[in-house]
Amino acid sequence: MKKIIATLMILLCVTGVAMAQDELSFERKQAIDSLALEKVRDLSKYIKIVGSKDTPFSEANRVIDRAEELFMSDAEIGVSSIHSNQITFYRVRKYFEHLMRLNYDRVEIEWYNIEYVSDLQRQPDGTYVGVITIFQTFRGYDKEGNMVYKDTTKKDITVYVRRKETQIGGRTIGFWDVLLGDMRVKETTDR
Amino acid sequence: MKTKITSIVMVLLAVFITLGGTTSCKSKKRLAKEAAEAEYKSKVEQAVTDLNAILDDETLWTLEEKEARVQTIKDWNLQNAEVDDLIFQAEKKLARERAQKNEEERAAAEREKANSTNAVLERNFNNIARASSVSQANRTINETLGLFESPNVPVLIIIKQNAGFNDYDRPTTIEKYLNYVKDQKKSTEKVFEIKYNANGKINELELIKK
Repeated sequence: MKKIIATLMILLCVTGVAMAQDELSFERKQAIDSLALEKVRDLSKYIKIVGSKDTPFSEANRVIDRAEELFMSDAEIGVSSIHSNQITFYRVRKYFEHLMRLNYDRVEIEWYNIEYVSDLQRQPDGTYVGVITIFQTFRGYDKEGNMVYKDTTKKDITVYVRRKETQIGGRTIGFWDVLLGDMRVKETTDR
Repeated sequence: MKTKITSIVMVLLAVFITLGGTTSCKSKKRLAKEAAEAEYKSKVEQAVTDLNAILDDETLWTLEEKEARVQTIKDWNLQNAEVDDLIFQAEKKLARERAQKNEEERAAAEREKANSTNAVLERNFNNIARASSVSQANRTINETLGLFESPNVPVLIIIKQNAGFNDYDRPTTIEKYLNYVKDQKKSTEKVFEIKYNANGKINELELIKK
């Protein structure tokens, strides 16, 4: 009986230590929260660059490569229109290629109110998952400079943060890998 | 009789002069020997005093002055066991001090180089972020890449330091990082550590969030 109690005590201690190691301090958690938000803000800049008709083709392609690196390999981006209830899903590269080919003379894309709707939560496999919402205003202009299309879309982006390790200069570097998942359209208005 | 007396006087005079001259020569030699012995003794005493001062750090001489002093004492070639032992100890001590000073000077030169490279890198990051055109930003990117071993040099970005532990963002390369600064039009990191290859080119860069 004593042996069983002692074994249980040891198991409890080991589990406790393991759980304590998994717990991130408030400051570290804040740092990865900010890092994930920053990645979404980076994405908004990439969308703006690729959407701009002033961006040279080679620059746009380089930026698409960088933007693709922000996402999980199978991530999809939802696209909506005020003219239709249908939401079309594109793989990340297809989405950016579609954005480059939009039939406007000039486009303006603004992202704002970028914030967490669901905080990063630790999953059993150690991945932190959260949802960040953004508002996007899209304006399309014709060659006379008239605005011919405008919509505002609320989108949710799932964010995955994983602890990974790599070897650099003979050192093992532990880093936080932030990857964006699907970007889903929640609401589209003509405002 | 007179001639005999003159001869005796002459002989006595010759004997007297000879004896007198010999005594004077012997005296000069003795004096010279005594002077040499006194000088030797003085040099030994001076050498022992100086070498002990060097060994006990009781002198304000610079390392170069101490090294010169030991060399002068060695050049005296005093052939004195005590002095030879002190020279041996002093040379060992000064060799350690020289190695330490060389290391300090090397580290200081490296710090100075790093500080100056830090300043150049951070200025270039800001210039890229604030460039008025893509071509202007690209020129600064190319100029900056010249400081690196290759465009693929790894760049680590510390997002948080906590109790001696660093949290990093996903590692990138210098070319991607500089383009990132250009695309995002922001420079939010400062230089934390730079590593160089044998040719003085940067082969690893560590940045930290401002």
